[in-house]
Amino acid sequence: MHLNPLTAKKLNRFRNIKRGYYSFLAILFLTALSAFAELLINSRALVVHYEGEYYFPTYGEFIPGETFGLGYSYETNYRELKERFRAEDSGNWLLMPLVPYDPFENNEYEGIFKPTPPSFADRHFLGTDTTGRDIVARLFYGLRIALVFSMAFLILTYVIGIAIGCLMGYFGGLVDLVGQRLIEIWSNMPFLYVVIIVFSVVPSTLSNTSRILILLTIMVAFSWMGMTYYMRTGAYKEKARDYVSAVEALGGGPLRIIFRHIIPNTLATIVTFMPFTIVGAITAVTALDYLGFGLPPPTPSLGELLKQGTDNLTTAPWIVASSFFALVSLLTLVAFVGEAIREAFDPKKFTVYQ
Amino acid sequence: MKTLYSLAILVVPVFGFLGCSSKNDESSKEQDAELQARVQSLKAEVKDYYQTKVALPIEVQDQLENGEVTQEELDGRIAAGEFPKFFQFKSLEDLPSDLAWEDGSDLPEIGSPKAKKGGTSYGTIQDFPRTLRTIGPDSNGSFRTLLLDDVAVLIAHRHPNIDEIGPDGFRYIAGLAKEWAIDKANQTVYVRIDPNARWSDGEPITADDFLFKFFFMHSSYIKAPWYNNFYNRFFSGITKYDELTFSVRVSVDKPNFATYVLEDIPVPEHFYGELGDDFPERYQWRFAPTTAAYILEDEDIRKGESLTFTRLEDWWAKDKRNFRYRFNYDKRHITVVRDVAKAFEMFKKGELDAASLTLAEYWYDKLPDDDPLVERGLVKKAVFYNQRPRPPYAMWINRDRPLLNDRNIRLGIQYASSWQLVIDKYFRGDYQRLNHTAIGYGPFTHPEIKAREFSVDKALEHFAKAGFTERGPDGILVNDAGTKLSVSLTTGYTTLKDALTIIKEEAAKAGLELRLQIMDSTAGFKLAMEKQHEIHFMAWGYGAEMYPRYWETFHSINAYNPDGSIKTQTNNLNSMNIPELDDLIDAYRASTDSGEMIKMAHNMEEIIHNDASVVPAFQIPFYRIGYWRWRYYPDDFNLMISESSSEFALSWMDVEEKRRTLRALRSDETFEKSIKVFDQYKN
Repeated sequence: MHLNPLTAKKLNRFRNIKRGYYSFLAILFLTALSAFAELLINSRALVVHYEGEYYFPTYGEFIPGETFGLGYSYETNYRELKERFRAEDSGNWLLMPLVPYDPFENNEYEGIFKPTPPSFADRHFLGTDTTGRDIVARLFYGLRIALVFSMAFLILTYVIGIAIGCLMGYFGGLVDLVGQRLIEIWSNMPFLYVVIIVFSVVPSTLSNTSRILILLTIMVAFSWMGMTYYMRTGAYKEKARDYVSAVEALGGGPLRIIFRHIIPNTLATIVTFMPFTIVGAITAVTALDYLGFGLPPPTPSLGELLKQGTDNLTTAPWIVASSFFALVSLLTLVAFVGEAIREAFDPKKFTVYQ
Repeated sequence: MKTLYSLAILVVPVFGFLGCSSKNDESSKEQDAELQARVQSLKAEVKDYYQTKVALPIEVQDQLENGEVTQEELDGRIAAGEFPKFFQFKSLEDLPSDLAWEDGSDLPEIGSPKAKKGGTSYGTIQDFPRTLRTIGPDSNGSFRTLLLDDVAVLIAHRHPNIDEIGPDGFRYIAGLAKEWAIDKANQTVYVRIDPNARWSDGEPITADDFLFKFFFMHSSYIKAPWYNNFYNRFFSGITKYDELTFSVRVSVDKPNFATYVLEDIPVPEHFYGELGDDFPERYQWRFAPTTAAYILEDEDIRKGESLTFTRLEDWWAKDKRNFRYRFNYDKRHITVVRDVAKAFEMFKKGELDAASLTLAEYWYDKLPDDDPLVERGLVKKAVFYNQRPRPPYAMWINRDRPLLNDRNIRLGIQYASSWQLVIDKYFRGDYQRLNHTAIGYGPFTHPEIKAREFSVDKALEHFAKAGFTERGPDGILVNDAGTKLSVSLTTGYTTLKDALTIIKEEAAKAGLELRLQIMDSTAGFKLAMEKQHEIHFMAWGYGAEMYPRYWETFHSINAYNPDGSIKTQTNNLNSMNIPELDDLIDAYRASTDSGEMIKMAHNMEEIIHNDASVVPAFQIPFYRIGYWRWRYYPDDFNLMISESSSEFALSWMDVEEKRRTLRALRSDETFEKSIKVFDQYKN
C-alpha cells in the first residue's frame, strides 16, 4: 500500500505510543472476538454427535428437541441434552461453548430466579443477574451491541457533520450565517425530552430492530452539530490556501475541492475526535438504558446491568462490580487510543508555522 | 368569614414589606374590596343555585348527552316544574317518624387500647405533591391518601373487619354522623351530624357544608368532569332539616346505595368563599380545613423536600369510639425519596420507621430473617394477609388487533403464558395465581373458574387451529401467508420487567414471540388509554366495594364509538364487544337484588373466561413490612380490608424505646427477635 510519507510518519508515531497502541490492539481483539461471540458464549452446542450424525447448531436455524429424541418441538436445551447423553452413555456426545449460556435465558439458583454469585462449577464466571441470566453473556453481547451501535453512530454523525460543516466553511457568507443560526436553534432542543416523547408515541407494534434504529436516528439527529464547528473552521482555513486557488483555476468544482482536497487535509481533526465520539456514544446509550429509555428489553446492555447493580448493591455486589469494571475498562481503552491518536496526528510535530 | 378575615390580614403584611407608601395601602384596600365583591358574588351564585337546581332523572341526562333532547326544550320543561328541586329546605317536623336510626355502636371497636399518643413518624413519598388540593388537576396522586383518603373522617365508615352483607349492604360505624337512618324504599339516607364535629380550623361542621358540597361538585370551577358527572348522575337531591340534620337521595337503586351517602365528606363552605374559574391556581397550595386529625401548616411544607403533618391536640373525634386509639403520632414527617433502593437503605439506618417487604427480594434477600438487625430484634418483620378485592394483575389482550381477533390465538396465548412459573420461581411461591378478574368479592366471586395452565402442546394445538403450524428459523410459528406469530406486550410497570422477560422467554417455547416494551408508568397508561396496545399488562386498583364492576372494563359502549371507531380513554382494554355480555352488564347495572346480581356476575365471568381475552396473572394476598421495634401495632396487627399497614393509622410509637434502640444499634444490646405471620383473614 502506498502511503503519503507524512501519514506513514504519523502512523509510525502512533505505534510508538505504547499505551495507546496496545489499547488499540486490545479493542481490535475484543471486536474480532465479539464477531465470534456465538462460538464462545452460547446456549447452543458447538457440535452434537447423535446417532452417528454430526450437527452444528451454533449458526442457522434452531433444532427442535425432537431431533435428539427429546419430547418437544421447541429449541433443544443442550445443557440438559449433555447430561442425558452422559447418563445414557450410548456414544452420543456434544461439545458446549466455554460459557454455555445465552444472554436471555433465566437460570435457577437454589430453585428460584435470583442472582447467583460467581461460580466456576456452574460456569457462571461472573454470576447471574436478578432473573438468573448469565452476566458474562449479557456483558459480552451488550458490549458488542454497544460497539456496533457506536460505530454506526460515529459514521452517521461524521458524514452529516463533515458534509454540512465543510459546505458552510467553503461557501461562507449567507450559507454560513443561516446554517450557523439553524444549528444554534437545533442544538437547543433538549435531547432527553425528545427521546422520551418519541418513545411514548412510537407504536408498540414495531420490532426491536426498528426501535434500536429509531434510537440511533434520534441520537444522530441531535449529535452531528458538534462536528460542523470544527469542519467549518477547517474548511475556512484550507480554502484560503494557495492549492485551493490552484484547483479552482484548473476548473475544479466545489464538490471536488471539498471532498478531494479540503477533507483529506483536515483529516487530523477528524481522526482525533473519533475515539471520543465513540466514548460519548457508549456513555449516552448506557445512560439512556440506565434511565429506561434506551435499547428495548431484554436486549443485553451495560446500562441496564449497571442499574440492576446499583439496585442490589448489598445483596448482589457482583452485578455492579462486573458491569462497572467492564464499562470503565472499555471507556479507558478507547480514551487511551484517542489520546495517542491526538498526539500522533498533532500537526505541530511536523510543520512550522511562520 | 373567619378565614376570609385572616386572609385579609395575611395579605397586608406582604405589602407592608414592600414599603409603607400610601399607594400600597390603597392597592391593598382595592384588593380587599375586590375580594369582598368576589365573595359576595359567589354567595349570591350559591343561593341562586340552591333555588333553581333541579334533579334530572338519569334517562333525561342520557337523552341530553345523546342529543335526543335539546337544552332549550329541557329548560322549558324545568320551568314548567316537571322535575323536583335538588336542594330542599324543610323543618324537623317534616322528618319521617318511623325511621330506624343506627350508629354502629353494636360493632366491635377498631384500634388498640394499648396505643399511646406522641412521637414523630418518618415516611417517604416518591414525588413531591404537585398540589395540596384534593380535587381538580394533578390532585389524584398518591399524596392524596395522606391528605384525604386514609385520614378523613367520613359520615360513616364501612367496618373494616366485617364482610357480612346485611339488607342495607355492608355494616357501618359512625364517623361525622351521630347516627343515620336508611329508607330503602325511597333510596334516601338521613343523617344527624355529631354536634361535636369541627373542621380543623375550629368551625362547626353543619348541614350547610353538605349542601355546599353539591354546589361545589356540580360546578365547573373545580375542573373535575368525573366529579361533576358522578354527583349529578348518582344523586337526586339533598334536604336540610336543621343545622345538623339532612337527608340525601340516591338516584340508583342498588343493594349498596347507602354507601354513596355514608362514605362521603362535606366541603367547608367557609374556606371556598373565593371559588371561581381560577380555583386550580388559587387553591393550589392552600391546605383545606379537614375532618381529619392531622393538619399541614405552611412552615412545615418544604417544597420539593418534605412535608410534616401535625396532630390537632384538641381534635374533635379524639375521644370518639373507633377513633380514640388511632392517629397516634404527634407529627408525621414525609420526605421525598425518588429511589426505592435508597429509601430502603435509609430504613436500615433507622431514618425511616418501616419499609415494605412485599417484594420477594426484599423479604428474603435485602432483609432476610438472619439479618443482624432482625437477629438482634431491632427490626421486626410481619406478614399480614388481608381480604379485599384484589387488583387483577393481568395481560389484557386487545381483540381489535389483527391475529388477536382470533379466539384460537387468544387461547394459544393463554396456554403460552407461564405465570405459575413466575409465581413459583420469581415471586418464590408467595403470590397466588389469579383465576379471573373479580377476586375478593365474597359470594360475587366465581368460585370455580381457574386460569389456564402453561402447556406448550395445548398452545401449539390452538395456534395450529388458527393456521400457525410451521416454526420459522428462530422457532417462532409462521402461517402459510408468511406472517410471524409475533405480538407486542407492553406495560408501565418497570418493577415487573423481570417477570415479563420470563413470560417472553417461556412463550417462545410455544412458538409465540412477545415483543416487550417497558415504559414509565405515565407513558404506559397513556398507551393503554389510547388503545394503542396489542397486549397490555397492568392491574386496576379496586376499592373495597361490595360487588365487581363490569361496565367500565367489558361493555362494548366503552370499546367502540357509534361510528365503529375505537373509543379511547376508557377502561375497556380488551375492546370487548360481545352482545350477550352487554345485555348481562346492563341487566346487572339495573338489578336491585343481590341474589340475582351474584348469578349474573358468575355468568359474565364465564363468558369472559371463554372469550380468553384476559390472561389472569397473579394476586398478592398479603402485605409484608419490616419496622423498627419502637413502632407498635395492635395485637392482631391490622384490619381485614386494609391495603397497607398504614391505611387505618393504628400504629403508635414509644419515644423512649426509640432512643434506647438507636443507642443499642451502636452497642451490642439485643432484644427479642420477632417475625410474625398474621393469617387470621387468610382463606
